[in-house]
Amino acid sequence: MILVITEHRDGKLAPTTNELIVFAQRAGRDLGIPVHAAVLGSGGVALDALKAAKIERILSVDDTNLGAYDPKLYVHAIKAIVDKTGPALIIAAHTTQGMDFMPRLSGALRTPLAAGCVEYEKFGDRLVLTRQVFNAKMNLKTMPKGNPPWLATIVPGAFPGDEVETGGNPEVETVSLDLTGVTPSRRLLGRSQAPKGDVDLASASIIVAGGRGLKQKENFSLISELADALGGAVGASRPVVDAEWLPREYQIGSSGQTVAPKLYVAVGISGAIQHLVGMQNSRCIVAINKDAEAPIFKVAHYGIVDDLFKVVPALTKLLKDLKG
Amino acid sequence: MKILSCIKPVADPASRFVINDSRTWIKTHDLTFVASEADNYALEEALRLREKQGGEVVVLSLGGDEAAKVLRAGLAVGADRALQISDEKLRSVGEFGTAEALARAVEKDGGGDLVLAGVQSDDLGTGATGVLLAEFLGWAHATVAIAVDVDPGTRTVRVQRELEGGVIETVELPLPAVITVQYGANQPRYASLKGIMAAKKKPFVSWTAADLGLAQVETLFDTKELVVPEKKSRVEILSGTPEEAVTLLVEKLRKEAKVL
Repeated sequence: MILVITEHRDGKLAPTTNELIVFAQRAGRDLGIPVHAAVLGSGGVALDALKAAKIERILSVDDTNLGAYDPKLYVHAIKAIVDKTGPALIIAAHTTQGMDFMPRLSGALRTPLAAGCVEYEKFGDRLVLTRQVFNAKMNLKTMPKGNPPWLATIVPGAFPGDEVETGGNPEVETVSLDLTGVTPSRRLLGRSQAPKGDVDLASASIIVAGGRGLKQKENFSLISELADALGGAVGASRPVVDAEWLPREYQIGSSGQTVAPKLYVAVGISGAIQHLVGMQNSRCIVAINKDAEAPIFKVAHYGIVDDLFKVVPALTKLLKDLKG
Repeated sequence: MKILSCIKPVADPASRFVINDSRTWIKTHDLTFVASEADNYALEEALRLREKQGGEVVVLSLGGDEAAKVLRAGLAVGADRALQISDEKLRSVGEFGTAEALARAVEKDGGGDLVLAGVQSDDLGTGATGVLLAEFLGWAHATVAIAVDVDPGTRTVRVQRELEGGVIETVELPLPAVITVQYGANQPRYASLKGIMAAKKKPFVSWTAADLGLAQVETLFDTKELVVPEKKSRVEILSGTPEEAVTLLVEKLRKEAKVL
């Protein structure tokens, strides 16, 4: 059995959930084993998305001790589930939360963790988990050994969340665990949003990002107008932020946000590796740049090699005409 | 207060990497090794905490000459002493084996109040080792720290963590604790000439696996191969006048990519 540990906030499953389910459905089919999804929380998490998915079982652990996420309680709860159900593979998202408890779980169970996986394959009877290494410049194909369960975290955007196989009718099993006496390892004092205004890049399904090719701050309106026409959000590469055309929270890349929208339009961005690692898992990438040699074209699906000051207004106008 | 700061030696990310003949890793013999970038922020945080609270900073690394080199650099910017774990048996043991060896070294050195490490390394880059180390030590931990503040009175540490989407979370942990430090958390200092000279006289200890009671070190993975990722897309360049190109683009986005 493949055990998927879902992530959720404010009673809602995170977008990474569907991506984990896609990984698990595909790997489960190839390995001939069923998929179970565990939801650890308190006060109810909306399970609708999971209930539609073609998986065997949803393990719902609703416990007041799991109200605020804590790595120690998570590890304790997952270990109890492992003892009961004996999974072959446990997966979680390669996020700040996933990477907060999965290494501890690996240490506690003394089993291998392949962190940062983007692909899997079968090699004879062995499972191969492919991890991004050297800042995504290379992939390391590793084969876990020893007794299961084996652990893996899956890089957000590596699997298409909208390709979940539906039509399943998973049984929802309420699991009660004894977590009394397990004290949390930390105290949450607060959460705040770095000042961001309308910047919500992580959940945007369309992003239009501008780079140095826009030449000056005033020209950035071309980006916001195109974003409006597409119903998307605005992002930027590091030079734009360093030049203070836009605040830091718009920055996409290794020192900014990592995004994986459905559509990513890169305008006047050459595509330094630091930018690419923050967006290359987007499902469809469009690059508009007058330099045909720009590295952004290596990750793009569609490219227009021309003057952005001509192409972008034409694209915005076309989209508006089609709408209205 | 005693703070241990972990430094991983990595092949200089600015170098051109070539895959080795067995296709299991990169060729490293002619590469320069440097401290993994995030570990510099961890060490700077350790030095600042010592300046506020007093105590000592111990730098800790696993590896041969390359580890000795990054440890000397750590001493040169101000760490008080260095612990090296050097043993052929511990080569390529991955995050799990590394964390286990580091934990044994911390214990052999008499424990401490804080262990700091970079949020992730420039080679494996997964951010697992620090958290595993906390598990093996049985300490609390916090990852992705951008601010670390110790209260010696209550023996607690407050950590600001940088989560996805610009969310900043503040948590309080009991000491001892392991904290992984985010890129850009501070401005790491440079070594002065005086610091480099002083580093030569600072205590430097090297331990083998046997010294740490690690008789058998098992790796948990076999490497199949290291590959340069296939380009997942071959770009389709849309030509014509700007108007023609964008018309074609919108059609492709709708019918082929189905994203509009």
